[in-house]
Amino acid sequence: MLYQELKAKNFEIISVAQDTGGAKDAGPWITAAKPEYTALVDEQQIVTRKYGMVNVPTAVWIDEQGRIVRPNEVAFIDDRFKSFTNMESAPYIDAIRDWATKGAKSVYVLSEAELKARLKPQSDDRPNDRLKADAEFALAEYLYKRGKGVDAIPHFKEAQRLDPDNWNYKRQAWALSDAERDYGTSFGKEVKKLNGKPYYAPRKLPELKKGTNEPRN
Amino acid sequence: MRKYFLILTIVTTFVMTAQAADQNTRTIVYDGIATEVTVVPNSSADLWITTNDLARATRFAIKPQGVCRDELCFPLPHNRKAEFISKQGATTWFNLSEFAKLIRQPVVTDQKNGVWYFGARAAEQSGYLASLEAPNFTLPDLNGKLHSLADFRGQKVLLVTWASW
Repeated sequence: MLYQELKAKNFEIISVAQDTGGAKDAGPWITAAKPEYTALVDEQQIVTRKYGMVNVPTAVWIDEQGRIVRPNEVAFIDDRFKSFTNMESAPYIDAIRDWATKGAKSVYVLSEAELKARLKPQSDDRPNDRLKADAEFALAEYLYKRGKGVDAIPHFKEAQRLDPDNWNYKRQAWALSDAERDYGTSFGKEVKKLNGKPYYAPRKLPELKKGTNEPRN
Repeated sequence: MRKYFLILTIVTTFVMTAQAADQNTRTIVYDGIATEVTVVPNSSADLWITTNDLARATRFAIKPQGVCRDELCFPLPHNRKAEFISKQGATTWFNLSEFAKLIRQPVVTDQKNGVWYFGARAAEQSGYLASLEAPNFTLPDLNGKLHSLADFRGQKVLLVTWASW
């Protein structure tokens, strides 16, 4: 497995479940995976909020100084969901391997300019709406945890309205409810509405010269 | 008969007390932490709380230079002080919802349950976009043991989120 192969290279994996249901929902998956890496549970979707994530799985590369060197991007490390994602995992695994080995010299580590360009939030034109969406989602989650699941629904809906690109806010709310009854929709229906637009923003890995790790210019 | 009357009295008293408490208390969630606070009876749409509750719920305090927490201070506009601070007898009330507007902090409420949720300020949330420093977080593993991203300083970290849903 990737972690066993790379852990000797000063490389760590932290997986974080974005699950309002906490250990009850995420626990069985973690137990089954028997991870050697650090597996955490985030009941309040704190990481989604702090990093401006919009779906799962999403990965961020962080260097030895705690700096982001590749921001949010779709991160499949196997091909289980390939029929849905239409994305091979192999190029991404190669990229991780290259970074673990070469660190800052890796061709996959982004320049500061490129990082800043990519880190612009997707809904940059309405940053206040996004912050309000985060607060509505957090309020909904707070009510849900205290047995007020019905009262939580209008706040989940408001979060979804204010930050319509955030699939985490949609899918988590639907999963806590009968989505058809309470939200008049389902994941399948919403994906159809994308009308061929990709569910995941496409990965932007550098094109390499054939058989090398050199970027093609 | 007398026994029933006594029970009825107790129940009635309890219900009335509970209702009165509901009207005058709210839950503030600030920095993710919930605190019960007292509000002015029949108060306006704003959230006026005592300075004691302000300290309990938010750790902010009113100082000559502004409303402060540790090194962080927000001066109040001179000509608008009455919109933020109101002295009634020995109690000083503070308008926390107006303060949130002043410091551009999102606030959302649930009327039915009397909950006020204060979110992250824009400056807090987006600071990393300029510094490129990965925002820290502290979360439990399945055994309840807490781990912080900061503990991994000195190593390369692949941070991956997923979900069961």
